[in-house]
Amino acid sequence: MKSIRLFLLLSLLATITLVNFVALLHGYQSSMQKAQSLFDSRLESTARLIASANSEQAERQSIAQQQTPYSYFQIWDSGGKQLLTRSQNAPEAVTGELAEGFHEVNHASYRWRNYVYRDQHLNRWIVVAERIDIRYSLAEEVVLESLLPIVLAIPMAALIIWLAVGVGLKPLRQFADQVRHKRADDLSPIELDRVPAELTAVVGNTNALLGRLDEAFHREQRFASDAAHELRTPISVLKVHLHNLRQRLGNEDEDIALLRAGIERMGHLIEQILALYRTSPDQAAVKFEKVDMLKLAQSLIASEFVQFEQKQQQIELSGDNVEIEGNRFALETLLHNLLSNAHKYTPAGGQIHIRVRPLSGKVALTVEDSGPGIPEAQYERVFERFYRLQGDQHASGELGCGLGLTIVKHIADLHHATIKLGPSSMGQGLSVTVLFPQGEQS
Amino acid sequence: MLLNAVIIILREVLEAALIISVFLALSQLLNRNLWWMLVALVLGFGGAYVYAVNLGQVSMMAGGTGQEIVNACLHSLIFLCLLLFMISVPHQQHVSWRLLNLVTIILAVITAIVREGSEIILYINGFIGIPDLLSPVLMGGAVGAGIGLSVGVFFYYLLVNMRRSHGIWLGYLILLLIGGSMVAQAVEFMIQADYISATTPIWDSSHWISERSAVGQLLYALVGYEATPAPQQAAAYFISIGVLIAAAVISYTIRGRTP
Repeated sequence: MKSIRLFLLLSLLATITLVNFVALLHGYQSSMQKAQSLFDSRLESTARLIASANSEQAERQSIAQQQTPYSYFQIWDSGGKQLLTRSQNAPEAVTGELAEGFHEVNHASYRWRNYVYRDQHLNRWIVVAERIDIRYSLAEEVVLESLLPIVLAIPMAALIIWLAVGVGLKPLRQFADQVRHKRADDLSPIELDRVPAELTAVVGNTNALLGRLDEAFHREQRFASDAAHELRTPISVLKVHLHNLRQRLGNEDEDIALLRAGIERMGHLIEQILALYRTSPDQAAVKFEKVDMLKLAQSLIASEFVQFEQKQQQIELSGDNVEIEGNRFALETLLHNLLSNAHKYTPAGGQIHIRVRPLSGKVALTVEDSGPGIPEAQYERVFERFYRLQGDQHASGELGCGLGLTIVKHIADLHHATIKLGPSSMGQGLSVTVLFPQGEQS
Repeated sequence: MLLNAVIIILREVLEAALIISVFLALSQLLNRNLWWMLVALVLGFGGAYVYAVNLGQVSMMAGGTGQEIVNACLHSLIFLCLLLFMISVPHQQHVSWRLLNLVTIILAVITAIVREGSEIILYINGFIGIPDLLSPVLMGGAVGAGIGLSVGVFFYYLLVNMRRSHGIWLGYLILLLIGGSMVAQAVEFMIQADYISATTPIWDSSHWISERSAVGQLLYALVGYEATPAPQQAAAYFISIGVLIAAAVISYTIRGRTP
C-alpha cells in the first residue's frame, strides 16, 4: 500500500460510486417504468375524452388542426370496417388489432404505442396513439434531471473525502514528520497536538522507548566520562612511579620502555574518551560562537610546534581569515586530532600543509601530509570507533587508540560539516578536507 | 439510451480497468516500479484517439473487414503479451528478462486502452450534434465508466492487500482468464469478418445470465463470458488458457533446473 490517504480516497470513492450508480440505474429503470405508466394513463384518458367529446356517427373528413405529429387518433365503427374520423397524421387503415387495451404498432417509420377504447354507448372504437421514442425521450429527460446531481456529486465527494481523510490522518502525518526530522541525537519525546485513540499506544510506546534510550545513552556517557576521569589520577601516579623507576634502573631497560609505552597509550585513550564525551552534541551545542579557523589553526600550530620540530617536519599554514559558527573547544579538538594524526604518520623530515579557504559557499579546512596515506577502500572504516588501519600492528608503530578520526567525524557532524578523504597533492600521503557551512568573512 | 450507453461503456472500461489493475497489483507484488503506468496511459489514450480517427479508413480495408481484422490482431497481441509475461516472470533475476517483462506489461496495457478507448471515443462521437441523445449518452458513459473503474480499484486493492503469494496467484489466474477471453474475442471478430465460418452456438445461457446484465458484463470482462458462444470461440478460449498454463509451468520448471 503506497499511501493510506490514497487508499482511503480510492476505496471510499469506488464504494460510493458503485453503490450510488447501481442505485441510480435501479432508480432510472423504476422511474422510466413509472413514467411509461403515467403516459399510458394519459393515453387512456385522452381516448375517453375523445369518445365523450365526439358523438358523430357519420363518416367525416380527417381533422386538420393537428396539435402534434407525435400522436394521432382514429374512430372506427363497431365492426372496424369504416373509419369514421381521424387526425390528419393517423393511418387510414387499422394498425394492429381492434382489441381493447394497449398495443405497440408500426406507422410512418416509427414505433407507436396505442390504446384501443371500446365506446359502449355509441358502439364504436377509439384508437389513440403516441410515438414510443418521443414518450421515451420525454421520460428520460425528466428522469435524467433528477439523476444528474448524483453523477455530479461524485467529484464533490472525492474532494470532501480527500480533505476529510487528510484531517483524519493529520496526527499520523505529524508523528511521521517528527520522527523523520528528528536528529540522531535528539531523544526527546514526540508531542502531538492531539493523540487519536488509534495512535495512543504507538506514541506512548515510542516515547517510552526514546526515554529508555536517552537514559541508556546518558548512563553510557556518564560511565565513560566518570571512568576516564577517575583513571586519570592513578595513571598520573603510575607515571610518577615509572619516572622514579627509570631514575633507579636507567632508561635502557626494555621492560621499562614497554611499561612506559603502555601507560602512555592508556593515558591517551582516556584523554580521547574524555574528548569524545565533551564533544557530544548535548555538551557542545549550547556554546556556539564565531570562530576564525585560520587564527585557531595558527594558535594550535604555535602551541604544538615543538613536537613537529622534534621530528624535523615542515609545517605550513595558508589561507584566508574565514569565520564559521561553531564550538571553539570542539573545533580545537578536531584540528588537534588532524594535526596529531599528520604528525604521527608523517615520517621525520616530511611535510604537512594546512589550508583554510572559502570553497563553493562553504569553508574548507584541509590538512595534507606526506605520510603513507590510507587505501581508498578504508576511507569509510577509519571513522569507526576504535578502528585502526592494520589493527594494532600499524606499520608506523605510533601510539593510537582508533578514536581520533571518530572524534573528528563527531565534531564535523555537530557543525553540519562533511569530511572528504583523498590522496595528498604532495605525491603521497593523505588529504583530509572538512567542509563547514560558512559564517561571516572578516 | 442511458442504459445502452452504460452497458457499452461499462463493457469497454471494465475490460481495460481489469487488465490495468491486475498488472498494477502484480507489479507492486513483484516489487516493480510503477512509472510505466504513466507512459502506458499516455501512449494508450493517444493510440486510441489515432485509431478512432482513422477507423473509417481501417474499416474499408480488406473488403470492408479491416476493423474486424485489426480488432482481432489487437486482442491477439494482448494474448501474446500475457503469454510472454507468464514466461518472463520466473526469470526476474536476469536484466533482459526483466526488461521483456516490463515491455509486455506496457504493451498489453497500451493495446487494451487503444482497443477499448477507441470504441468509447467512436460511440460518444456518434452522438455529438444530437443534443437530445448526447446528454443521456454522456451520463450513461459516466455511470458505466464509474462502475468499471470502481471494480478495477476494488480488484487492485484486493490483490495488493491479500497475502503476497495469494495475491500473485490470483493475479495470474485473472490474467489466464483474460488471455482466454482475448483469444475468444479475436475468433469472434474473425467469424464476423467471415474468415471463420459461423456455426450454431454450443449453448445458450442467456436465460440464466444475460450478457446485458451487470453480472453478465462483469463475467464478460473477467472470464470472457458469452451467452451463446460458437464452438470455435469456446475451443479457442480453453486452448489459449491451456497454452498460458503450459508456458508458465515450463518456464518455472526451467528456472528450477537452472543452477
